[in-house]
Amino acid sequence: MPLTLSPTTTISTEPAKGANTATPIIHLSAVGKRYGNHQVLSNINLDVHHSEVVCLIGPSGSGKSTLLRSMAFLEEYDEGEIHIEGRLLGWEIDDRGRRKHAGRNRLNQARRNLGIVFQQFNLWPHMTAMGNVTEALVRVRRMKRSDAEKRAMTVLEKVGLAEKAHQYPARLSGGQQQRVAIARALAMEPKIMLFDEPTSALDPELVGEVLAVMKQLALEGMTMVVVTHEMGFAAQVANSVVFLDQGSIVARGTPSEVFRDTQHPRLRQFLQNYLDRNAFWHTTPEQEN
Amino acid sequence: MFDWPTFVFSLPLLGKALLITLQTSLLGNAFGFVIAILISSMQLAKMPLLRRLGGSYIFIFRGVPLLVQLLVIYYLAPMLGLPNLSPMVAAVLALSLCSGAYIAEILRGGLMAIPPGQREAAHLLGMSRPAILLRIELPQAVQSTLPSLVNELVLLIKASALVSVVGLADLTRVAQNLAASDYLFFQHYLVLAGIYCLINIPLTMFGRRLERHLQRSLA
Amino acid sequence: MTFDLTIITANAGAIWNAFLVTIYTWLAGSALGIVAGLVIAALMLFGGRPLQLLLRGVIELVRGTPFLVILFLVYYGGPAFGVRLGAVTAGVLCIAGYSSVYFAEIFRSGFAAVPRGQLEAGECLGLSRFDLLWRVQLPQMLVLILPAIVNMLTILCKETAVLSIITVPELTAVLTGIGTRTFTFIETLLVLCIAYLLLIEITSRAGRWLERRVGTYLQR
Repeated sequence: MPLTLSPTTTISTEPAKGANTATPIIHLSAVGKRYGNHQVLSNINLDVHHSEVVCLIGPSGSGKSTLLRSMAFLEEYDEGEIHIEGRLLGWEIDDRGRRKHAGRNRLNQARRNLGIVFQQFNLWPHMTAMGNVTEALVRVRRMKRSDAEKRAMTVLEKVGLAEKAHQYPARLSGGQQQRVAIARALAMEPKIMLFDEPTSALDPELVGEVLAVMKQLALEGMTMVVVTHEMGFAAQVANSVVFLDQGSIVARGTPSEVFRDTQHPRLRQFLQNYLDRNAFWHTTPEQEN
Repeated sequence: MFDWPTFVFSLPLLGKALLITLQTSLLGNAFGFVIAILISSMQLAKMPLLRRLGGSYIFIFRGVPLLVQLLVIYYLAPMLGLPNLSPMVAAVLALSLCSGAYIAEILRGGLMAIPPGQREAAHLLGMSRPAILLRIELPQAVQSTLPSLVNELVLLIKASALVSVVGLADLTRVAQNLAASDYLFFQHYLVLAGIYCLINIPLTMFGRRLERHLQRSLA
Repeated sequence: MTFDLTIITANAGAIWNAFLVTIYTWLAGSALGIVAGLVIAALMLFGGRPLQLLLRGVIELVRGTPFLVILFLVYYGGPAFGVRLGAVTAGVLCIAGYSSVYFAEIFRSGFAAVPRGQLEAGECLGLSRFDLLWRVQLPQMLVLILPAIVNMLTILCKETAVLSIITVPELTAVLTGIGTRTFTFIETLLVLCIAYLLLIEITSRAGRWLERRVGTYLQR
């Protein structure tokens, strides 16, 4: 039965157990952000450890994408601190203890560890798959074009698109485009991969190929933070699942803690809603009673 | 630098000329709209000949400068047995023919954006083709292209400055005459530019507001 | 009514020269206008708020004024400030000035049309702002705005006819001149219309060809 509830277990609000207890590779403490009067994120505390896969779930508007984008400083968080590999992200503290924007070099240093995959792929349409992957290798890492192309070929093979290397994005399916986007990020050899709803813009039958690549990455030990609506993926791959609602972390735990044992009314409602939408054939628990 | 008494003295003259300019542009726009309905529906017709004719009309009247069109009407009308074409009629005729081609292109875009299902539905209800065009399709096409149509009116008001060439006493012609009489070229032309801006800038802003409004209602 | 093309062949030399003047004023004016338009667009992007408002105002004023009136202001009004220009020079400068504000608008919309996400992706990969402008924004922008640029060029081609009013010896001036002198309006006006139709058609065909060439990656 999809949703069994055991009244005895409580949701842990501690970071996922089982992950190693060494210094976290991503460390968020009391992160908050507001647009005008609207508090989009409040008091987010989260640690992600090496080789851990964390899935962020929640209703739309819950702030999960904003949180992920903050981890790359694509959104400026205005309270708390985000540390990537021990480095404060995006801000500098000046002599008088006030925070100001970090210089571009410093920001790029912190971002070097990050690879990002967007919902809308954001490939550059005027470059081939190969061009998309090699661009930053040549311009940022100053690699020789031939070396860059060799590495690009390796990552394109990894996502199963070696034979599409010389196609323009418009000639690729959505799933293929997203895999090129993953390859583009992987080519920079990041320590952390951030995924912002990577399958939400895809036709349902193309979701699988992208999730398979992501699963493979997770198996290889990549540290990943994934905003997703794919509960199946979260259940199978994540070490910990974080549920956000109205800008706060409401529940977190292992997949089984979050998906099976939860007591939290808002999370239960969210999961039931998901099941109702996706169940066919199965009867929902309410109907059984 | 700026001679105020001359300016004040010229105002009544310019005011009268402004009415001529507005009259020619608005009439040109109105007749142009009627021509445009005809031409755009020809272009969307099934018969290849009609489509060809509509296409040629647009090709010619968008490809030849308005000034040359004016000259053609001005010089050739007498040869075609229309000796008494007044400047006003010649001007309105030229502006209508020319703006008709531009408006037709705009309307065609609007008409093509209407889902064909609507025409089929109207057809099944027994409506005639002209009725479908005038009652179902045109109102929607006009609504969706209103910003472009307003923009076209601004362009036509500016283009109407050229009718001074065929001797119509419009704004530009009167300013020219004033400048020729007292040699205050810069002043008179500055005032002239100011008057055009006074009409065109609010119209342009109105068009932009319409566009934003339209985008919001479509979003 | 008689139709006699010998009047055209007899004046072929003068007409050819007039054609060259048309081409010169059109292309020189457009080229200057494009450069000025790029500068204006860049100033509006990177200049401060006051400069932006000032340029916005100038753009609105130029767009609200008929080309003929701008021509009069510069050619007849210039001497009041000691600016005495030849008719051809005044014509080229006016076409440049008049078109620059339209080109600026085209460039501005082009910059805005490249999706924000593509820049974010580049930023995260560490690309510099210059790289993003040069490698991501500009190549796409040029493709996106190509139709608008070509359209503007055809409009400017037709505007050169207006230069005849300030006595620039271009096609319209020379052919109507021949027409009035010899009372051969039909022939001269016909040739005039055909010349413009040809110029416009060639320009838009070249534009479409170029669009196909550079836009291949946008085709599905």
